[in-house]
Amino acid sequence: MTAITRSLGNVSTVGKVVIPLLVLILVVGPLVTVLLATVIGPWVVGVANSNLGILRFVVAITGILLFSIPAAFIIIYMELKVIAYMNLRVGPNRVLPAGAAHSVIAGLKVLTKEDFSPTSADKTVFTWAPVMVFLTAVMTFMVIPFGPGLVGAPLNIGLLYLFAVGGMTVVGLLLAGWSSFNKYSLLGGLRSAAQVVSYEIPLTLSVVGLILLAGTLSIDSIARQQAGWVWDWFVFRQPLGALIFFIAGVAEANRTPFDLTEADSEIVAGFATEYSGMRFGFLFFAEYVNVFIMSALIVTMFFGAWNAPVDINAVLGFFHLAPFWVYLQPGELGLGLLLVIAVAPLLVTLALSAPVYLLRDSMPAWKALVVGFILFNLLVIGALGLAAYIDWDWVAGLVWFMLKAFIFVFVFVWMRGTFPRVRIDQLMGFAWKWLLPAALLNLFITAFAIVILKSAGIH
Amino acid sequence: MTAPVQPHYPHPSADDPRIMLDAQIGQYEQVPPYPPRTEREAEFYTLGDGEMFLNMGPQHPSTHGVLRVVLKINGEKVVDLDPVLGYLHRGVEKLCENSDYHHIISQIDPLEYVSSLFMEWAPVMAFEKLMDVQVPRRAEYIRVLTGELLRIASHALFQGWMALDLGGLTPILYSFIERDEIVEMLAAVTGQRMLFNYFRIGGVNGDLNHEFMSRLGDWMSRAAVQHEANIGLLNENEIFVRRMRDIGRVDRDTALRMGVTGPNIRAAGIPFDVRRAHPYSVYPELEFNVPVRGSNGGGDSLDRYLLRLDEVRESIRIIDQCLHEMPDGPVMARLPRLMRPRPGRAWAAVESPRGLFGTYVISDGTDQPFRFRIHDPSFVHLQLVGMLMKDNLIADTMAVMASLDPVMGGIDK
Amino acid sequence: MTTVPGMGLVHGMGLTLRRFFAPKATIMWPEQNADVAPRFRGRLQLLYDEYGTLKCETCFQCAQACPIECIDMGGVDTRGRFHVHWGPPETYGERREESAMRRAGRPVADAAFTRFDPMDVTPVTAIAEAHDFEPKDLLPMLEDIQAAYGYLPVAALKHLSRQTGAWYAFVYGAASSFKHLRFEPPTMPAAAPAGEGLRSAEAGYVSALGAALSGKAPA
Repeated sequence: MTAITRSLGNVSTVGKVVIPLLVLILVVGPLVTVLLATVIGPWVVGVANSNLGILRFVVAITGILLFSIPAAFIIIYMELKVIAYMNLRVGPNRVLPAGAAHSVIAGLKVLTKEDFSPTSADKTVFTWAPVMVFLTAVMTFMVIPFGPGLVGAPLNIGLLYLFAVGGMTVVGLLLAGWSSFNKYSLLGGLRSAAQVVSYEIPLTLSVVGLILLAGTLSIDSIARQQAGWVWDWFVFRQPLGALIFFIAGVAEANRTPFDLTEADSEIVAGFATEYSGMRFGFLFFAEYVNVFIMSALIVTMFFGAWNAPVDINAVLGFFHLAPFWVYLQPGELGLGLLLVIAVAPLLVTLALSAPVYLLRDSMPAWKALVVGFILFNLLVIGALGLAAYIDWDWVAGLVWFMLKAFIFVFVFVWMRGTFPRVRIDQLMGFAWKWLLPAALLNLFITAFAIVILKSAGIH
Repeated sequence: MTAPVQPHYPHPSADDPRIMLDAQIGQYEQVPPYPPRTEREAEFYTLGDGEMFLNMGPQHPSTHGVLRVVLKINGEKVVDLDPVLGYLHRGVEKLCENSDYHHIISQIDPLEYVSSLFMEWAPVMAFEKLMDVQVPRRAEYIRVLTGELLRIASHALFQGWMALDLGGLTPILYSFIERDEIVEMLAAVTGQRMLFNYFRIGGVNGDLNHEFMSRLGDWMSRAAVQHEANIGLLNENEIFVRRMRDIGRVDRDTALRMGVTGPNIRAAGIPFDVRRAHPYSVYPELEFNVPVRGSNGGGDSLDRYLLRLDEVRESIRIIDQCLHEMPDGPVMARLPRLMRPRPGRAWAAVESPRGLFGTYVISDGTDQPFRFRIHDPSFVHLQLVGMLMKDNLIADTMAVMASLDPVMGGIDK
Repeated sequence: MTTVPGMGLVHGMGLTLRRFFAPKATIMWPEQNADVAPRFRGRLQLLYDEYGTLKCETCFQCAQACPIECIDMGGVDTRGRFHVHWGPPETYGERREESAMRRAGRPVADAAFTRFDPMDVTPVTAIAEAHDFEPKDLLPMLEDIQAAYGYLPVAALKHLSRQTGAWYAFVYGAASSFKHLRFEPPTMPAAAPAGEGLRSAEAGYVSALGAALSGKAPA
């Protein structure tokens, strides 16, 4: 033993870390593996099997919490960069290429700042209001289907849940505004109460026509009904409803031109005036999570959810083709498969590096090989991605869903870069005098159309 | 051994009602903390049912500097308001009285930092009257040229601030790009971007140079197009137009009674322009219109906004004429370094981007003015605020205040 | 306002989208510098003449004129002397108080100058007292000090500044602007101007210039 300690004393610092690690991996690793496989594994699987609903919920909520923060970071970065470009500026450009990590660093900065609360604030409410705002935002994620089967809780009253929980955000904002002991915050809180409650009504009513069409409150089912071509999306059957939903959604998410709750030129920062540190971070994240949720909802309701705009099966059927991956049967190669696995990387790397080597005079051979290998890897990743896209419909769904959702996020940001803000009386007047009648009109027209079409026998 | 006697200092806040003790924190402090000094103050600081005070400024995103406005609001509605001035007071008039005639140009330069050349122009003209100096014609043309350039820059900035106060993020950046081109151009001829210190008694500091002329030519080739493109973002925007229309309406009588000048009175339907009403420099020789809006009984915020855009077009015309008609010759009259004008008095006024900017000088025969007084248009226009904002919403205070285009540097002197 | 409601909004969105793809106006400082016109005089730097000599004459007039006393000058003056310190930058906080006291006419100790050689300054005090500590009589006082010492020692100037309440810059400026006042003992040769050895090209340049102006070679 002393010999081992002495020899350990001679090794370098790296060795002192690596050698115990090697011991750990070589000795403890197999032991743990065997233990897991024989005893713990079956037990865990048994417990999980008997509590599948709870497990699903825990996994879903963890996934959503983990997803919401990067999504907010991406949207914040997008907002900074897109508005900067529209302003003929460059925007964030220092952290990573094109400032890609700017919002992450800003988030870290927010974490390290002093968590200040005003002397006369209601401390408890002041502390918990941002948490409430953030949690209600994240709770809404539970019923949004990101892809076929990729939904936190497949409720059959998903829409009802959505509007119920979404309406709770205003409570958090009101609490934040009231507890700050600041007149600007109070005004902001009251404005948000008036605005969100008013726009809740056209928002909900604009979807009722869609519910009549779809015959269900389940978001998952609404999404499935839009499969097929672009014109199967509900936006073409409910254009007015989609427009009202979009406008009311902008107001719901407190975005320009309806961002009266934090109108910086009027009431300094509204309900967030007195917040700093991570409490402000929560409010800030919640705003951007709300933006994503609104885009996701618009996509889910009206723009075909996760469905691709092209019905790939119909296209293939038109040309009397089966999907080409049906022809690809790797198992048929037998031992040849091993050969392919062994030789293909080498050959493809060489094939890809050859033009690089030949076309660039200053390129040494090893560099060309490295480039070729990287290209090969990209090719493999692309091929795997394609295979995943083809084989697993949830991957395809996720890709299309995210693409469409971020297009709408871009529209939100675009509007922020273009429009001034409306006044509070115009805002309320617009909701009650225009959006609400329009939503009702949409509802009646849809109902009449359904009744007439049904009585005419056209389904 | 006795304990050392502690001297008794009564706590100053013990019976001072103005100082809040810890026990009282959590209650609202009485506003104002002092007994009212005037009847108006007593009226203002008496709260009605459901009303509250909202202190806006001196640090607020949209009070254009350090203006403080105490709003008495009922919900979102502004019942009454009280502008509080003086946060930027530097005593410019007194500073000028204590410096000699040449030095005054640099003292008055930062008075209204958005349009510095006009701040120099008025006193320089007054001194020239006082000393009976004949300014070379080329110098006059250069003054008009640079002045009109700066008027465009100032109006561009106004447009951006206007949009920013209404919540638009983008126009301010476009305005600054436009303004930046102009101030860079002026920096090429004056040597500074903001506080130019360019006009001199009897001329200007330096002749136009190649850098200036090339930048100006480059800019002139696209100025009008760029201007129209930039204003297209706002002028047709329904949200913007609806927020500006029918608020802060100033009728002709009010405008005349309150001594409003500049774009604000022209937006109220009165074609008063110092360049035409009391011609100075070479303006009589130049051809330009005095744009007027709101001729049917007064102008609102939108009229004031649109009128400034019209003025930009006229300014581009004037610059074009200046470039074509500029004579050759010296840019500075031959004058002694030390100036001791005869005792006397002089008044000179120019049409600054905000209105009539005038200076009044009394000389006692020394090299410093005996008295030096400044008439700033922003100060006059700010008096309208109380009249215009009553019964409007909080958001409208921004639209009205921005449309009057006050600059606090000039107001607080 | 357009005839079709909402078209103005669409036009605006179109404009911002076009600007989204337009070239940007930002100057990427510090990788790229702004294009500054030659006439621009806002540069915060001291300029050098064509021989590489500092153009600043250390007359302290800028420091005197600076209303908030933010101009700091230190180091060697143009003639190679060391004592042109208005105050070290790290004593800004003290100097703020110090200058307030000076303006109030009270004598102020200068911590920055204590390291200089101790010398008997009682004659300076006597001279200042004889002139009733009046800063306006600076020239007579300086002449008296020169008569007492034979030249104007730095410590004496500092002491005079302290006694009269006049800024050191003011005292130094006055002393340096008169030819008959000197800063070195009469036995010592006057210090050469800084950059004296560096002007090897000057003679050639001057002669060439003279030739160009007069049309013939100088004598």
